[in-house]
Amino acid sequence: MTADAAAPVRDPAWSLSRSAIGLWVTEGVFGTLLYGVLVAAFVLFVPAGGPVPVLRWLLPALLAVYAVVAIGVRPWVRYRVHRWEVTEEAAYTLTGWLTRTWTLVPISRIQTVDVTRGVLQQLFGLATVAVLTASSQGTVRVLHLEADVAHRVADDLARRAELVRDEAT
Amino acid sequence: MGEVTAPGTQPRRTSPRVVLVHTATFRQARQLVPLLIPIAAVTGFDDGLATVVVLAVAVTALSLAAAALSWWRFGYADGPTAVVVTRGLLARSVRTVPNDRIRGVEVEVPPMHRLLGLVRVRVDAAAGSVGTNEEELVVDGVPRAEGDRLRARLLARRPAGAPEGERTAEEPAEEEIARFDNRWLLYAPLVGSYLVVPVAAVGTLFRLVEELPDAIVPDVPGPDPADPRVLVAALVAAVPLLALAAVVGAAVVNWRYRLVRRGGSLVAVRGLLTRRHTELEVDRIRGGTLSEGLGMRWVRATRVNALVTGLGQANRRGQLLPLGPRTEAVALLARLVEDPGPLTAHPPAALRRRLVRALGTGLAVTALGAWAAAALGWWWAPVAGAVLTVLGVPMGIGRYRALGHMAGPRSLSVRSGWLVREQAVLQRRAVVGWEVRQSPLQRRAGLATVVACVGAGSGGYAAVDMAAADVPGFTAAASSGTWAATLSARAG
Repeated sequence: MTADAAAPVRDPAWSLSRSAIGLWVTEGVFGTLLYGVLVAAFVLFVPAGGPVPVLRWLLPALLAVYAVVAIGVRPWVRYRVHRWEVTEEAAYTLTGWLTRTWTLVPISRIQTVDVTRGVLQQLFGLATVAVLTASSQGTVRVLHLEADVAHRVADDLARRAELVRDEAT
Repeated sequence: MGEVTAPGTQPRRTSPRVVLVHTATFRQARQLVPLLIPIAAVTGFDDGLATVVVLAVAVTALSLAAAALSWWRFGYADGPTAVVVTRGLLARSVRTVPNDRIRGVEVEVPPMHRLLGLVRVRVDAAAGSVGTNEEELVVDGVPRAEGDRLRARLLARRPAGAPEGERTAEEPAEEEIARFDNRWLLYAPLVGSYLVVPVAAVGTLFRLVEELPDAIVPDVPGPDPADPRVLVAALVAAVPLLALAAVVGAAVVNWRYRLVRRGGSLVAVRGLLTRRHTELEVDRIRGGTLSEGLGMRWVRATRVNALVTGLGQANRRGQLLPLGPRTEAVALLARLVEDPGPLTAHPPAALRRRLVRALGTGLAVTALGAWAAAALGWWWAPVAGAVLTVLGVPMGIGRYRALGHMAGPRSLSVRSGWLVREQAVLQRRAVVGWEVRQSPLQRRAGLATVVACVGAGSGGYAAVDMAAADVPGFTAAASSGTWAATLSARAG
C-alpha cells in the first residue's frame, strides 16, 4: 500500500505471506456456502405467499454480492492493507480492509507471546503471532505468517521482552 | 487438612458464629430454592398453616446443615509466600494465591456480621487468565481483630519466612484525603446509578405481586387508572418519592465516607448498614477517571475512580469519591496524577460527524414515521421523529464539546461521552500500547481515533476523532520512552 496523505501514522514495513490470500479466499468460500445453504432453505421452505415477498429475490441477490466481495475482492484488499514490523523497541501491525487499525506495543511491556495455528492455517502452512500486554485492548496480532517465520518472531520477541522488561503494567 | 507445608501455615477456621449468619440469610440453602419450588408446586400449599410451618422448619434445618457443613469444610492459611483457601462440600478445591499477586484487600461488615462481631475479607488477586468470578478470595466470618491482622499482613509484603503471628509494629500515620459531606447526598437524584435502585425495587415489587396467587391479593377497588388526573397525580407523587429513595440509597452506600492515605496505600471506608473498608496500593495507581452523567453536569457533580493495574471490577473497588462537587473531585485526582492542562478541542470535522449522526438518526426515524403514518395511521410517529431530529442538534454539539485530548509533561488525558462524560487522566508510564483506528469516512474527513491501551480500568481510553495529522505528535508526547516514535514517518 502506498502511503496516502490522510493516513494518521506511517505503515509498518513488511507484508504478509502471499498464502494468506488463498486462506482468505477459502474462508470466503466457506462463508458463501454457509449463507447459500441458509438462503436456499429460505427460498425452498418458506411458501411463495410468505410475509415479505421481496425477500425471495433480495436474499439471493445479497448472497451474490457477498460472494463477489468475500471471494473476489476482500482477500486482495486485505493483503494490500495488512502489514507488520518488529523494530528495536516495538511490535507494530496494520490490519483491516475498510476500517484500518494500527497497533503498536513496546517490547518492554510485552507479557506473553502466543503462536496459534488454526485448521485452515495448517493447510496453508501459516500461523498467527499474538503479542499480549497487561491491557485487554493492547494486543498486537500478526495474522497469517509462514509458520517458521512466526516461531522465529515469537521466540525473538519473548527473549527480548525478558531482557528489557520493566514493570510491564 | 492435616498436611503441614511450612511452619506457620496451619489452616485456620473461620469463626463458628458465621454458621448463625449463614443460616439466617440462607446463604448456602439459596441454591436449593430452584429445587424446592417444583416440590412445593407438586405437594401444593392447600393444607394451610401446618404445611407452611413444616416447610419453614425444614428449610431452616437444611440451611443450618448446609451452613455448618461449609463452615466445617472451609479453611484458610496465610502462609509466608501465599494464601491458601480450601473449601468445597464434596469436591475439595484448593486455591493458592501468591502474596505478590495480591492487589487489594477489602474488609466488609454486613449488618448481621456486625451484630456478631465478625467481618468478611475479600482478597483481590491480579486479573489474569481466570474469569472475573475467580478473581477474588473470600474469607467470610472471621472476628474483627483477625480480619485486621489478615489485612495488615497481606498488604505488608513481608519477606518470606517472617515470623507468624507477629502484629505489624504500628499503623503508620494517617492523612485524610477526602471526607463525604452529607450535603452532597442532594446530588443523588440526578445520578443515574442511584435512581436505578428505587426503580428496580418498584419493578421487583410489581413482579412479586403479579406472581402471587390471586386469592392472596385483596381486590381493592382502586381509582380508575385510565383517568388522566390519576396519572398526573401519580407522576407528581412519584418524582419526590424517587428522589427521596435515591438520596436514601446514596446515604446507605456512602455514609461517613472517608478516604485516607496510610503509608503506601489509600484506604476508603464507607457504608451505613454494611461497612466497607477498601485498601488500594498507591504504587499501582496509574491514573483516574472523572465521570459526570447528564444530570450531574447540571449541578457540577463528579465521581472519581482510580485506575489500578491488575484490579478487576475497577469501578467498584477503585472508587475514590463516590459523588461530590467538581472542584473537590479535580483537586483529589490532581493528588494522584498531575493535571496535564486544559484539553485540546478536536477539529470541526469531528463536530460535523457528530451532527450528521444525530440528525441522520432523527431523519431516518422521521421517514419511517411518515411511512407508518401513511400506512398505519400512526400520526405521532413522524412527530416523534421530528422532535428527535431537533434534539439531535444540541446532542451532537454536546457530544462534540466532550471530546478532547492533552499530553502533559508527566501525564495525558482524554475525554468523551455525552450521557456519561468520562475524562481519563493517566500517567505516561501507564500506556502499554497504542491503537489507531480510521474508518473510510474518517479517512475522508482527515480524522482518526486513538486508543491508549492501559493495563487498568477498562483497558483502553480513546481520543475519538482527533485530527489525523496530530496523531504521531500526541502518541509520542504521551508515552514514556521513545518507542512511540515508531508511529511517525521513518527517519531515513
